[in-house]
Amino acid sequence: MTNKRSLVDVINPEIRDFLVEMGAEDIYKCYQCGKCSSICPWFQVGTYDFPIFRLSLETALGMVASSEDKKELEEEVDKLYRCVGCEACVDQCPHGINIPNILRAARRLLVDFGSYPDILKSIVQKIHDVGNPLGEEREKRSDWAKQLNVPNFQPGIEYLYFACCIPSYDPRVQNVAQATVRILQKSGCSFGILGVQENCCGEAIRRIGAEKVFKEVTKANISSFESAGVEKILVTSPHCYTSFKNDYPEFGANFEVFHITQYFSGLIEKGKIQPIKRFDKKVVYHDPCNLGRQNGIYEEPRNILRNIPGLELLEVENFNRSLSVCCGAGSGALWMEWEKDERIGDIRINQLVDTGAEIIAVACPYCLQMFEETIKSMELNIEVMDVAEILWESIG
Amino acid sequence: MDIIVCIKRVPQTAEAKVEIESSGKDIVKDRLTFDINESDTYALEEAVLLKEKFGGTITVISLGCSDADDTLRIALAKGADTAIRIKAEDFDELDGYKTAQLLSAVIKDIHFDVIFTGCIATDDAYSQIGATLAELLGIPHATLVTNIEVIDSISHVHRELEGGLQEHIEIFLPALFTIQTGINVPRYASLIAIKRAAGKEIKLVGQNEISKDQLLLNTQIEELFIPPVAKQVKIITGSPGEVSEELAGIIREKGLI
Ligand code: SF4
Ligand code: SF4
Repeated sequence: MTNKRSLVDVINPEIRDFLVEMGAEDIYKCYQCGKCSSICPWFQVGTYDFPIFRLSLETALGMVASSEDKKELEEEVDKLYRCVGCEACVDQCPHGINIPNILRAARRLLVDFGSYPDILKSIVQKIHDVGNPLGEEREKRSDWAKQLNVPNFQPGIEYLYFACCIPSYDPRVQNVAQATVRILQKSGCSFGILGVQENCCGEAIRRIGAEKVFKEVTKANISSFESAGVEKILVTSPHCYTSFKNDYPEFGANFEVFHITQYFSGLIEKGKIQPIKRFDKKVVYHDPCNLGRQNGIYEEPRNILRNIPGLELLEVENFNRSLSVCCGAGSGALWMEWEKDERIGDIRINQLVDTGAEIIAVACPYCLQMFEETIKSMELNIEVMDVAEILWESIG
Repeated sequence: MDIIVCIKRVPQTAEAKVEIESSGKDIVKDRLTFDINESDTYALEEAVLLKEKFGGTITVISLGCSDADDTLRIALAKGADTAIRIKAEDFDELDGYKTAQLLSAVIKDIHFDVIFTGCIATDDAYSQIGATLAELLGIPHATLVTNIEVIDSISHVHRELEGGLQEHIEIFLPALFTIQTGINVPRYASLIAIKRAAGKEIKLVGQNEISKDQLLLNTQIEELFIPPVAKQVKIITGSPGEVSEELAGIIREKGLI
């Protein structure tokens, strides 16, 4: 928001009411303390002005994305899409205000009127048309499992393993799904996949603001899960976890959802799998926002890593667990392109590299992709592995 | 300057798997999303830019069923003042010529200096409406416009030709232009404009306003089909001896030697 216009000119109660109707009701709780801004990763980036504490006030005044000047409006819309939905602010706000939700109210209106970044439009389109953000063929969704003898889910099988779109298609990340399946097979777990009947969980597009398409894919998923008789779901992605566990119940779903690290940690505790091979590396664990802060799963991935012989587990002091900094890929940001010096991923990678680790352990396909891209662009010498990949190396 | 922009709501098929419906004359649309035709967004933006410069009004017109109201409302939010929908449901089968006749029946009663259309619709790719509509209205036109500047009722227009060539022509207004993508950067709609557009009336024009008697259909779709794969790739594997033997066999079989 620029200060070129007088405040009286821009106050617009109608816009405020419009946004409150779309889910921004938290705005009235904000007392402008600014705590949210101090924790927001954009504050650490420092080169892009993102004073998020002002947003509740601006929304209450009806000043969001409201400029009628083309250039100014572009900047305002860009600002709305800078939030990576990490919810660090939600965690810190004394009044529990959900700022990404306030932003999402505006995003929903903009999406309905085709007024959001083209790259995100194409992601929403791909998820709608072929069920994944990569635009890959639906028929190839289970190709990653071809050599692995994974049964199709059917009644009598205990768990549905939902691999997420990126591990299903991306040649690098497929290895995560494959390692996961191998561990599950070794443990004797009863599981199957749904392959072509799966759609993207829709977490990212809901956060982009494409609520209508989100509802469509959600209903399609719920119906194919239910008609296959699915009750329990194992997920690789914390984003799928959030969707299935927190978002889908709004639409009548009632699945028991487990992140794969919860399940593996349990298998180790019960002695059903034993990491025995040494993994003599220094490993730093990065808490994915959707797994840690948003769903309280901090211990299980660490427990897996601690059980691997030879592995030295490192922490990012001051910026781990609930204070972990986002990889920069949430809420659609994985697909956005920002200036070289305006990237959250760079900040986080530096914190991880500074621990002296040889390997960054992640438990989220978005974090994996984002970090690998960041490492390439920064020409760093550090490797990224999913916790499941490390565990399989120690078992397999 | 009073400007008319003709827009079309089209299915988005770039990412989708397109299937032919049982009549064999249309594609299956129930799983597709719809949006404003790509070059029409540039046509609308060009209108808004001209209006910002010269003042005046923008009227958007679309021939479509009630779903097209959403597309018209987006156009209202992005800078149009008035929206008219010609009720497609009233006019049975349509082709490019009939569409142009319907548009001209509505436009002849409106004052305008400029008409913009997109240069091609991404669904049927006829590229007919602009030129036909201009002829029906008796005004000059230019197609595939990539730049336009208006000085004293004369428009200086660049047209895109094959091979990267550009043609510069001058046309007296009123005139019609079909707009090429990339001529400008289409804008976002602001929340204020969205709110305003949400409450605006869309004027409906149907068979009570336009007589169906004189409408002609020039073309009829015989069949819509997905072309058979023209070229096939065969990957030959095996030892060099096996590969060359099989290759020689194929060449012989096809009568190439
Ligand atoms: S932390 Fe909460 S109360 Fe404080 S400014 Fe941010 S949103 Fe408002
Ligand atoms: S969710 Fe994260 S990126 Fe978005 S405003 Fe809150 S702290 Fe900032």
